[in-house]
This record gives sequence, C-alpha cells and structure tokens, in this order.
Amino acid sequence: MSQVPLPPRGAQKFDTVCQFCIVGCGYHVYKWPATREGGPAPTENALGLDFRQPQPPMGTWISPNQHSVVTDRDGSRHNIVIIPDQTCRVNEGLSSVRGGGLAQTLYAPDRPTRARLATPLIDEGAGPVKASWTDAVDLSARIVKAVIDRWGADAVGMKFFDHGGGGGGFENNWAVGRFFFSGVGTRTASIHNRPAYNSEVHAAADAGIAALTNAYLDAELADTILIVGANPYETQTNYYLAHMVPNLRGSSADLRRATFPGESVEAARMIIVDPRRTMTVATAEAAAGAERVLHLQIEPGSDIALLNAIARIVLARRWYDVAFIQERVEWQTFEAYQRSTLGVDTPLDEFVAEAAQITGIPVAKLHQAAEWIAAPKAKGERRRTLLHYEKGLIWGLKNYENVAAIVDLALLTGNIGKPGTGVSRLGGHQEAYVRPPYPGGRPALNVDEAIRRGEVKCFWVGGCNPVLTTLRAEAFEGALRERGAPVRAALKATVGRPVGERVTAVVEAMKNGGMFIVVQEIYLTATAEHAHLVLPAAQWGEMNLTSINGERRLRLYPKFMDPPGEAIADWMIIARVARRLRQLYLDDRNTLWANRFLDYDWRSDEDVFIHARYQFKGDASDPMEGYSGVTYDLLRRLGNNGIQTPVRLVNGTPVGTVRLHEGGKFGTASGKARFIPAPRPWPGYAASVARQRKNHRFWVNNGRSNHIWQTSYHHRLIPFYQGRFPIPYLEMHAEDARALGIASGDLVELSNDVGTVRAMAYISDAVKRGHTFMLFGQPRGAVGDLVSDHVDPATTIPYYKGVWADIRRIAALPEIVRAVSLAPTNVAS
Amino acid sequence: MKDDEHAFPLNGFPVTRRAFIRIGCTTISGSLVAGMAPALAAAGVQSAQGDNYPTVDVAALATINVDMPVPFTYPDANSPAVLLRLRQPAPGGVGPNDTIVAYSALCTHKGCPVAYRPERKLLICPCHWSSFDPGKAGQMVIGQGSQALPQIVLRVNGTMVQATGITGLIYGRETNIL
Repeated sequence: MSQVPLPPRGAQKFDTVCQFCIVGCGYHVYKWPATREGGPAPTENALGLDFRQPQPPMGTWISPNQHSVVTDRDGSRHNIVIIPDQTCRVNEGLSSVRGGGLAQTLYAPDRPTRARLATPLIDEGAGPVKASWTDAVDLSARIVKAVIDRWGADAVGMKFFDHGGGGGGFENNWAVGRFFFSGVGTRTASIHNRPAYNSEVHAAADAGIAALTNAYLDAELADTILIVGANPYETQTNYYLAHMVPNLRGSSADLRRATFPGESVEAARMIIVDPRRTMTVATAEAAAGAERVLHLQIEPGSDIALLNAIARIVLARRWYDVAFIQERVEWQTFEAYQRSTLGVDTPLDEFVAEAAQITGIPVAKLHQAAEWIAAPKAKGERRRTLLHYEKGLIWGLKNYENVAAIVDLALLTGNIGKPGTGVSRLGGHQEAYVRPPYPGGRPALNVDEAIRRGEVKCFWVGGCNPVLTTLRAEAFEGALRERGAPVRAALKATVGRPVGERVTAVVEAMKNGGMFIVVQEIYLTATAEHAHLVLPAAQWGEMNLTSINGERRLRLYPKFMDPPGEAIADWMIIARVARRLRQLYLDDRNTLWANRFLDYDWRSDEDVFIHARYQFKGDASDPMEGYSGVTYDLLRRLGNNGIQTPVRLVNGTPVGTVRLHEGGKFGTASGKARFIPAPRPWPGYAASVARQRKNHRFWVNNGRSNHIWQTSYHHRLIPFYQGRFPIPYLEMHAEDARALGIASGDLVELSNDVGTVRAMAYISDAVKRGHTFMLFGQPRGAVGDLVSDHVDPATTIPYYKGVWADIRRIAALPEIVRAVSLAPTNVAS
Repeated sequence: MKDDEHAFPLNGFPVTRRAFIRIGCTTISGSLVAGMAPALAAAGVQSAQGDNYPTVDVAALATINVDMPVPFTYPDANSPAVLLRLRQPAPGGVGPNDTIVAYSALCTHKGCPVAYRPERKLLICPCHWSSFDPGKAGQMVIGQGSQALPQIVLRVNGTMVQATGITGLIYGRETNIL
C-alpha cells in the first residue's frame, strides 16, 4: 500500500493501551466512517499535522499496518487507525513491532482475522455445528452440575488466561476466578502457560516482596541494572528503549543528579545473565559502551550458583546493606541465609571457584558483577541497583530457589523500596490479579496429571492453548483426544434428543474415562479443535477492560468496535453459565449450591470492575493490588498515564503508589522481609532431566521473540509477522550445524525421549556450541513436545528451559530461504 | 489421525501442525510455499500502480560496485534512498544477475536514516537498532519498524539504473507522492 487514509476532523478518538506485552504502551485509536478521509492540511485532519510535508523523525506517522477497515454489527464500515501516544509516560510515542501492528489484529470479514469465532459451536461427532447461546449455556451448566453432583468440584478442571491485556483484564479475571473458586470451588485449576494454579514467584512472596516492585522511572535512575533470564529489547521493548536505554546512553544523567542531589552519578552499567548473546546484549553495548555491559553467558540451570556466588562476594567485601537488613529484615533469616546459602564456613575463593565451574563464568567476572551491583560509589554512597528477572529464572532449574536467590541478593544489598532500585519480574503479559483465593494449597495440583489419570470429567479452557504450550504437549493432546472420544460418541448418539437425556449419556461416557471439553476462545485453536463446546469470546477493543502493566499502572482499554457475530466478553459468558447453574440448583431445591452462584447479574464491564473492587482483598504477601475509589470515569480522565496500584483513598481522593515497599513494610506477619534460604551451591538436575541431558546432545533453550506474540494466535494470520517466521526457528552455532551438515534455513528435526518437533535452522553466534534456542509454543512446532514432565516439587512450575534433544537435517527449504532473512538478529551496528 | 490434524487456515491455504511434522520433505516445502505466497506478496513487492511516480536516473551501471552504497533521493528531494549492489540475486533486483536494489533510507519505526553495514549486509537504524535485509525485499530482520523498508522499483535503461516507483509507504507520509 502506498497510501493510508488520514482521520478527518471529528473522527472518534480513544486512549487505549496495547493488548500485548507487560509494558502496556499507550496508543491512540481513531475511528471514522469508511467513506470519509481527512485532508493533508493541518485543519483537514484529526492529527492536526501538515501532511503536505513529510513528518520529521520521532514524529507522528500512520504506517499501513496501523490502519484497518472494520464492520460493526449494524453493518456500518469504519476506518480504524492505531498509533502510539506521544504523551504516554510508558512508551513516550514509541511503538514496538507488535504494538505497531495492532490495527491488523482487528476482526474484519474481508481480512485474515475473519478466522475469528463468531457463534457457539457444538461438536456432535461430525465436526463443529453452530449452536445458540441459550443451548450452549444450558448444556455447559448441566454438565458442570452433573460433574459436581457426582464426582465433586475437583472433577471440574480449568485452565484460564489469568492475566491482563488482550484476552484478560480485571473484569474477565474476576468473573472467571469467582466462578471457579468461590462458585464451583475446584482445586483442579491452572494458569494459561503451566499445569497448575500457582504463583511463579512464591519465593518472592514468602520473602514479603511483591512481583512488581519498581516504577519504570527507576530504570532511568539506577546506577546498575541487572537482567537475569530476560531479553527486554525483544520482549519488554519500550520499557527497555524508553527507560533503560536513555540511562545507558547517559541522557538521564541530569534527572539522576536532580533526583539525588549531592550523590555521585556515574555512567550507568548493565549486567545481563543469559546463555545467549541476545539483541539486548548487543544494543546495551551500543548504548553504554561495551565496557559498561557485563554479559554473563551461563550454563543452563546454573543461576542459583551464580547469584549465590555474587552474594557471597558482596558479603565478604562487606558491601551489604547492614542498616537496611537491621531495620527491614528478620535478622535471624539473615543468619540462616549466610550459613545455608552463602556457605560462610567455606573459604570465599573455594566457594567462588566452585560457582565458576558450575556456571562457566570466570571468577573475575563474578567479582566484577558483585562490584557493579554493590561496591560503594565514589563518595561511599550505596549503589542503586535495579534487579530484574523473567522466564530464564522462573522457568529454570528450580523455580523456588531460583527466585529466592535474586530476591535474597536484593535484600542483601538493600535494593528495594528506594528510587533507582527494585527487584521485579520483567513480565511477559500484563497483569490483572483480581480473583478470590485459589482453594487449593501449595504445591498446587497438577492439572495435566489429573487429566491423564482421568480425574477431570469436565475441562474448561479459556484464552490459552495448552496443546502448544504445556509440557509433554503431545501426550497432553493425546489425553484430550482419548478422553474426548467417548463424550463425542455420546453426543453423536443423542443428536436431537432432549438435553437431559444427552447429559445422562455424557455422564455415562465420563464413567468410562470420558471428559467433556469446553473452550472459550477468539480463534479455533489447536486446543479448541478438541472441544465439544466452543464459546466465542470478545477481544481487546471489543469490550471495556482494565489491566496493570509492569509498574502496576492501571488503565482503561475501551471498547471501540463490536465483536464478530455473537461473540461476547468472557465475563459475560461466565455470568450466563453461573446464572443458569443457579437456576438448575434452585430447580433441584439445593439452595446451598444455588447460592454459590449468586450475584452474577452484572449489566456492564464496569459493574464487574466495581464488584471486584469491593470484594477483592489481594493477600498480605502480594501488596500490589487494590484500587479504592477507582472508576471507569476516573480512568478515562487519567488516560494512558492511568494510576499505579495499589490505589488508596486519602481524604476521599484516590492516590496511587509509584513504587512498593518504600515505607519499609513487607508482606509478612512481622512486616519485615525474610531471606529465603536456597541450597548451596547448586542443587543439580532432577533425575529425568539429567537422563535427558546425558542421552541427547543439544540443549534446547526456548522462549519468545521480537516479532511474535505468545502462540502467534494473531500473528500467524498477519503477513508482516507470518512472513518473517513462517516456521519456528532454531538458533544453532555454526560449527554444530556444519558438523551435522545443516545450512541456515534447512528444515531440521529435534527428537528426544519425550517426542519430536521440527524447526528451521537459523545459524547464529547468539548461542554457544552445544546450545540451541527455539521459539516457544508455536502452531507449526511446539517445543513443549520435547519438555519432560518434571516440575519443581515446591511450586509445580515446569523446567521448560531444561530440554535436551538430538538434531538431524530433514531437507532444504529453498522457497523459504529465498524470502525469509537469515541475517543475524543480534547486531546493533 | 484426523483428530490429530490442526488445520490453520493460513492465508487461505490449510497447513497442519502435526502433518507438518510427519509428512515428507517435498510436500512440506510445497505446501508451505503455497501457503506463504500471498503473505510474501503482501509483505514484499507490491504493485506501485496508482501513483504517478517520476522516472529518475540513479547511477550508471558501470559505477555501481558491491558493498558501495549509492545515496540518492526519490521520489523527491526530501526522501533519502540508498542503492546497493549485492553479491546474490535479490527480489526486485535489476542489472547483473539481478543484484542491484534500492530502498527508502528512512526507518519504518520512527523515521531515522538507516545505514548500510557491508560486514552485516544489513541496513541498520541507529535510533532503536531496527535492521532490514536488502536481499529479502527489505524485510525487517529484528526491530520495531511497522513494515518492511519500502523498496524502490528500478529498471535498467541502457547503461543507466533508473528509479520508477516504490512499494510500501515511506515514513512520515500519507502518500509517497506529496
């Protein structure tokens, strides 16, 4: 396209926030009738810009991918333009590659997004057939009731989004959580990307520290930024580009001087712990100078040894923050931490040498890291270090101890609750923590295992695609197929019969191992293909939703178009099922159970938001939530800068919280933080992982990338993204590839004791010899097919990163090589 | 087997996940390419019809050397562009072995001028490090741009390489011809 329409004056304008990553960049949506177009003169277009001249760099521009034409339910057609908001403090006018294509994700009957689900579907043995909402809701409610009545609440399994942004939000999470936890009361629950309903940062919570403690501003104020197991250039893009990079480039030096009068301001440094030389490493070096970036290219699973060695050096050099620990930490946990974790009975040199051997990081670099994190500054002031971590640590060797190790390092160095500091996840998706507490305990029940054992009779999946993302994915899919078959046969045998008779037949099938599968989705995903009942949901932009980003910034993402066909918001689907269940229990004269499904009469998105506001208490160890006094009206007025949670009413006015733990209070019974001891120096691999590692040659590290959001549910449909990675790529070292006769762009097969998967070889110096990296959870190649069923026994979090496999060449892909770039993805100059 | 196949309607062509894993190699590349063709057309070279593009002499064929970028402007003086001779044939390439290509030099992210790095064979933006592959129709390799780098349509007229059109929209404009 060599032209885009300009929004005319009078076009509708909405503030909104990107549906994708945790950063939550602000965008502006313009909507106007498809028959109209603004003119290039500033008085002729809604942007007020003179398009008779080219716009300058860093200006406002509408790229062709930022425009779409949509059709509302009344048949009216509208232009939509979605461009980054120059006034939003999160992204400061920047778009990422993902947010830059938001307009392409909108439903349009004449575009690839026509694949959206538009009506409920029932599979009665001969493929999905359209059904009415009344029938779909009635059938699902009857099934859930029959399962609860016969097998108990835990026989109802669920796996749901449980996040913010697109396919989530406070409204949908509150409805889903309330229905399954307070209503059904099942413990057989799980979160979108893992087999259980658990925090990924239990260790932080046990230490009394929230998951998201800092403000993005702190990255502009820090002396040192530590990044463990994350690649923010690609996957937290505008937090990195708009807040970290300016500090690395020195452009926030004046801000630092003004914020900390009299304090030494040295050029900022960054430490990146990542087995790969990523684009983040390359760009940090370009911004700060290579001498101010320390890349610790660790061996898989060795994070605990690394972080504990750094902490031990800090302790030995007396760089720890004794005043902070005395005032704000339970002292006896510090003593235990020194003994059990930091091995004070072992000489320092021996301890550090052992860590160097385990991690593959030279002793000198371990000392350098400790120095950059905690050595006093020029005038003896404490260094301000911002500690960030994500899936490399969370999905590492041992989830609990991994997270404990970084939280402990933050406590040891006093880097929490002060400007320029913090210890936080970098995050994947946005957050929306509001829901009643999970009724199960810790470690949470493994839903995948419960399904395989036949304990789940009804499995309800919403806004996620476990067939692509779970561990041992092929076996999981096999279980869906096998357990779904008898139910499908029962539905087929009773086509046209009264619903009561059909439910009776399904229950008989359940007695023989059958499982009824409901999928609530926007597309017919790989998981939805196994569903007996598919319920079409609204997406971002089709309902009002609220979410927080990685600095807890709460904003309203307004509805600006209609969902396709009969699709409705997730909360509305749940509310309809809950109301029907209540009626069914009332018909049974079972008021006890009927009352568990009371108060689902919300009339609007905001009704749910306000209901959650009054009911949701969060929990003491996770003081990030709460939004007293916040209404949609307030959020509309605050626009894309929103308000940071927790929000408290001060003299009747809602007041947000820039950073957590500033008052020195932590989420423990004593109000003081706790060191969480981790084993020293390193616990080693679990038996099943060690076996896989011994028998297979290559480590298959895996994760996300710049272009593709999560399972590619939108991006596989959009040419700009799909054309970049038509097949998931596998980064390989050149010498490894040569030894196997593999050329860049070849189709290769990975196989191990769990399964096989294929990918396109992408030769890269990002990975060391013996290491590879594959895109996670993709529709044409799910690395989950190789992941063993080992989980951290303390938290039920899988070791998704712990995959070893053999690789062989399958074929050349000449047509793909002709069109798809195989140039390096980790160079900045 | 049937349940096992997840049809993903990809630009009108069904490609299945497990089938992709299991079927033979000829079929794989055949079906993938069939599925991709519209995507590639949309992402890469498109018709430049409808705009009244000027024909402009860029450089004499004999003066264009590998890895020696030739800066020029097109379609007007406010639109920096760069002409390159690559070592391999390239989509949209003209001249010897179809190796000569040209692109708008404005990054599709925020409009900073991209620079050609011969050692990388990439056009890289110094502002936020988006990079574009001149041998792959300007495809963004990594970065934050919102589309491929607009490619300048070239032709060889006698001994002269001429620019005659553009595929894609140049940064900062609502239409390429102002």
